[in-house]
Amino acid sequence: MTSITLSNVCLDYPLYGAYDFSIKRRLMNRLLGEADGAHAVRAIDQVSLDIRSGARIGLFGPNGSGKSTLLRLIAGVYPATSGRIEVRGRVMPLLGLSAGANLDLVATDNISLLLRIGGRRPTPAIIDDIWAFTELEDRMRRLPLRTFSSGMLMRVLFATATAFPADILLLDEWLSVVDERFSAKAERRLLGLVDGAAIVMLASHDQELLRRVCNRIVPLDRGRIVGAEGGGQTDRSARKLEEICA
Amino acid sequence: MDAAPASSRRFSVLHVFKVFYPDLFGGTLTVIRDICAGLAHAVASSVLVCSDAPRPRHEIVNGIPVERVRSLGNLFSLPIAPTYPFRLWRRIAAYDLVALHAPFPLADLVFACGLGRARPLVVHWHADIVSHGRLRWLVEPLMRRTLQRAEAIIVSDAALATRTALLRDVANKCHVVPFGVDLRKFAALENSERPGSAGRRVVACGRLVPYKGFDVLIRAAADHDFEVRIIGEGRERAHLQQLIDGFGIADRVRLLGSLCDDEMVAEIGAADVFVMPSVTNAETFGLVQLEAMAAGRPIVNTALDTGVPRVARDGREAVTVPPSDAVALAGAINALLADPARRRRMGDAARQRAATHFATAAFDQGIERIYRRAVAAHAAAHRASEQGVGLLDSVRIAAALAWSDLRHRYVRSLLGPFWMSIQMAIMVAVLGSVISHFGPAGGLSRLPMLALSLTAWTFLNGVVLDATTALQASASLIKDRALPPVVFLLQCCFRQGLFALHNACVPLALWLAIDPMDVGGVFAALPGVLLFIAFTFAASLVLGALATRFRDLKPIIESCLTLAFLASPVIWSPEMIDRGSFIMRVNPLTHLFAIWREPLATGQVPMSSVLYVVMSLSVLVVASLVTLSRLRKAAFWI
Repeated sequence: MTSITLSNVCLDYPLYGAYDFSIKRRLMNRLLGEADGAHAVRAIDQVSLDIRSGARIGLFGPNGSGKSTLLRLIAGVYPATSGRIEVRGRVMPLLGLSAGANLDLVATDNISLLLRIGGRRPTPAIIDDIWAFTELEDRMRRLPLRTFSSGMLMRVLFATATAFPADILLLDEWLSVVDERFSAKAERRLLGLVDGAAIVMLASHDQELLRRVCNRIVPLDRGRIVGAEGGGQTDRSARKLEEICA
Repeated sequence: MDAAPASSRRFSVLHVFKVFYPDLFGGTLTVIRDICAGLAHAVASSVLVCSDAPRPRHEIVNGIPVERVRSLGNLFSLPIAPTYPFRLWRRIAAYDLVALHAPFPLADLVFACGLGRARPLVVHWHADIVSHGRLRWLVEPLMRRTLQRAEAIIVSDAALATRTALLRDVANKCHVVPFGVDLRKFAALENSERPGSAGRRVVACGRLVPYKGFDVLIRAAADHDFEVRIIGEGRERAHLQQLIDGFGIADRVRLLGSLCDDEMVAEIGAADVFVMPSVTNAETFGLVQLEAMAAGRPIVNTALDTGVPRVARDGREAVTVPPSDAVALAGAINALLADPARRRRMGDAARQRAATHFATAAFDQGIERIYRRAVAAHAAAHRASEQGVGLLDSVRIAAALAWSDLRHRYVRSLLGPFWMSIQMAIMVAVLGSVISHFGPAGGLSRLPMLALSLTAWTFLNGVVLDATTALQASASLIKDRALPPVVFLLQCCFRQGLFALHNACVPLALWLAIDPMDVGGVFAALPGVLLFIAFTFAASLVLGALATRFRDLKPIIESCLTLAFLASPVIWSPEMIDRGSFIMRVNPLTHLFAIWREPLATGQVPMSSVLYVVMSLSVLVVASLVTLSRLRKAAFWI
């Protein structure tokens, strides 16, 4: 069963200044017997979470509160400094908008490439499915992505990224970029993914969006979970949903 | 359009049952057909069944691909198809999900043996084995194992899950999805006048098998004057006909045989009362009574311990009588026939209930949801062991990225990477002409080797230099898509490999034009080439990671590489260089080139160089392993 368990996870994020990237400087410091000026900031502080399938978690907090970092920890980008992270299920992290897309290549080539990056073999049928979801004109398939507007680009990237049911989907400020109609459709697809025994985690500072999409909201501030989680109603229904799915 | 991608991609399902149209008509087949049709937007369904009729092995029936396994007949209601389990086992891998319509012990054989675990299994529990109860002990362990292995079990009524002993152990996997009925099929009847003029027509429908209880209905009709029409075919036909003839009521009790859909709708529409006289729990739901409800007909059904009396409820949509009780059955039928107002009331209530509680849309959605969850749950369980991106995945992704890089070159110019080849050809020409002035003769014949060496050098240089910036360039893929950094170091290697294949045209052309010597040396050179590539990759891994951590390393690496190149015998001819030079002897590049150049030129493998390369490579491999273990931290550096 899909699940994410974090227990007392901390992450010290090393801050590298311009000099810290220099090996000459470092060797010099060594020779002179000076201490290495490696600073670290505690980006995630004692976070514990237990997430079961069917959960749609909204991470809410101001910039720099550790939302994205927490998602990256779960995705396995950063190694935790202390604590335990246990992730069961295939993680599909979609934290950047256009990671991996090559704007010079035509749309279908990009879809193929992105599918391959996601570890899937692209077939014409799959690409047709994805294109149908974008609702873009057929002739645009053969145009380079750099000719697309940002909204169109988002459609292509979103459709590609969510074409396959992932067990765990990590999203960072995704739905806010496209127009309303498509964003409604994208939300539906996300909700559909949850039916596929998935966990969705969405980081945003748009509380409205989180309320609509998520069934549990985790407020973060300076790397800590703060205050009471979520609204009582949504939380209870989330727990119920979790029980059903467990 | 919208519904299909709303959740995700289409997936394929193999329906496993004992028989299919047109060998049989009946509730289970209706359900399979409805699932195939109702989920067509999301699921590509196929059917694997047995048949004892001479039918083609593969056939499309109502738009559904059907494969039939030859059966020699029936034994205890089971087809004798010894090859069925084998065929099923071979087919499973081709589908995303297997839907077993139970009971079907022949298929249980496969699942109980633990075969076909690579795909998720959903069991549609249609009924328990009732007819041949004495053989239960034989198949029950098989069924139990199948149910334990299944991702989900679908029943049509909650009563089945709680009252079937076999299902009680796996109750947590049972999902109740009531069958649906397509009301449009009966819409034409809604406003039509009930042909109640006579007000004495009773219709029943089902396969002519003992558990349907048609003999009870015939007995009930014997002493009363209502008409009975029984739709369906089966092995009891002769027996039932005999019974009818025995009572001398053939004029008003008729066996209509199998009817097509339209005829059936018309028959049900012409009924004043629809009767469901089933006598055993093999009747779990009574799909056909649901159809009669949709047609707005009052029902008489039996108080079985299944969904039957809960679909049409006593006193509201139906009159429920004890099973196998001809007197009670006749009484209920007569009471209804005598009271048109009550019939109308019950009929309206029945249609209302069919529309609100048994809509096809709810059925389709319920089934699709369970299928999807089963696929996802199975996939999650399967992948629990192999967390993250494996090595093979990394290689695949790196290859795809490198391939895309190559295409990118072609997008920008028609010649693509061949521009580099042209550049190299010019370099070979210039260098060749310079060198030929030093040597007395045969300058021309050294050109192919010079070109080949330059190709190899371009590869090595390119891989290492690309690696120093690769991680920074792919920061978004590392941080946002969580790809392991090693992918991008591999990508450098693959990309430069593809470019090297382009560049290799130059030495190949020169070799063909100038001096097509024997090719025996190629095989002797092959191990050397592989060592060269391995060395290059290991070096790029270590230097790439270091240069990402310490940005000022890149220019140092760059100039070291150039120096090493100039201090190696790559472009110089033997006459021009001091072979004993210390620098040249310790320069790894000297040996790295020697291990494949010398076998190619002379057929001799220089053992000392091989030894040198193998030793330095093992040091590099250790360094690479250390690097790989630390590479996760690269996300902090970029």
